[in-house]
Amino acid sequence: MAFKLHGSTGSTCTRRVALIAKERNIPYEFIPVNMSVAEHKQPPHLQHQPFGQVPFIVQEDGFELFESRAIGRYLTTFGSGPQLIPTEPKAYAKFEQAAGIEYAQFDPIAAGITVEKIFKPRYGQATNEKHLEGLIAQFESKLNGYEAILGKQKYLAGDEVTLADLYHLPYGKWVFVDLGLGDLDKRPNLKRWWNDISSRPSWQAVKDGV
Amino acid sequence: MAFKLHGAKMSTYTRIVAVIAKERNVPYEFIAVDFKAAEHKQPPHLQHHPYGQVPYISQDDGFELYESRAIARYLATIGSGTQLIPTEPKAYAKFEQAASVEYAQFDPIASGIAWEKIIKPHFGKVTDEKRVEELVALLEIKLDGHEAILGKQKYLAGDEITLADLFHLPNGNIVFERLEYGFLDKRPNLQRWWKDISSRPSWQAVKDGA
Repeated sequence: MAFKLHGSTGSTCTRRVALIAKERNIPYEFIPVNMSVAEHKQPPHLQHQPFGQVPFIVQEDGFELFESRAIGRYLTTFGSGPQLIPTEPKAYAKFEQAAGIEYAQFDPIAAGITVEKIFKPRYGQATNEKHLEGLIAQFESKLNGYEAILGKQKYLAGDEVTLADLYHLPYGKWVFVDLGLGDLDKRPNLKRWWNDISSRPSWQAVKDGV
Repeated sequence: MAFKLHGAKMSTYTRIVAVIAKERNVPYEFIAVDFKAAEHKQPPHLQHHPYGQVPYISQDDGFELYESRAIARYLATIGSGTQLIPTEPKAYAKFEQAASVEYAQFDPIASGIAWEKIIKPHFGKVTDEKRVEELVALLEIKLDGHEAILGKQKYLAGDEITLADLFHLPNGNIVFERLEYGFLDKRPNLQRWWKDISSRPSWQAVKDGA
């Protein structure tokens, strides 16, 4: 049941996996990948993760998986704790709708903003200001959708928390907390939801590093 | 079982739903959303799709869903024909890994290129060539990942086709066929796979309009 989590302690996607492991009470051993020497771009790593990224996991029987959201989904099939993916067919369809909101609506924009404002400057690359402007405008528009949905139900898929909500945490911390975007004070439903999911003990345990 | 597909004939994501409906022999009635009149941004539409996009579907019993991949996953559980999501737990985990490769690695970049090179000019806006350069360079790296995976197995999740392969079709058609970047030229595995999935009757039936 336990697994080795190969990744980087500050990485958004590594923390996404650690978060779900905490939710499901599944123990893991963290194995740091040395990104400062580009270990993740070398052939041995590429055998495990062909896109040269982190994280990937390894289990005792040799089973391996990469893509943090796929790993998170896999972790909900064992361990114990909140269900995180509904089983009833129509509730499950609504979960996939909410999962889609996270990876197709939120993530490209939130990750894009974080790359332009934080990562590019950090690595001495030039921010594409026009693109960033466009992203921030899109972000505002998307958040109106969130505000509408969360005015009718407690979480994105319905009244139970699911992976779709939790997957927002790593980049949500960057954009809502570290960069102060999103105008949460003018979006009470979004604010309520963000406070709820970000106060979960599982996130508190990994938000500053796995 | 049948459904109403609200969308735009040539929309990438409307055609994703259409291709999976064809694969699963699920009949649908196509209802055009009037983009010229910005129907998709008006309150009646926003009741069905809070992000002001297409597609969404509605069924006779009143059940509605948006997010094309969520709809596709739902269609994979009804109708008949090719099983597009494995059921065995570890094969299913590998499917989720491949599904994530599509929505997290491929789509944000490919759809970004499509947006700059095809959609923006169509609406009289100026392509950001610097951004396109960046995106093309990124996509080259991603496709090396696809090439490596497809050198070991027939499809992205294993030796059986799944939704993860088919979700590449609309944006793949743009970046591999309509635009001439030569992504397939030095990647024989990718080329083999692309020929295979793009020749399926389900795609031929909808590629020029849902």
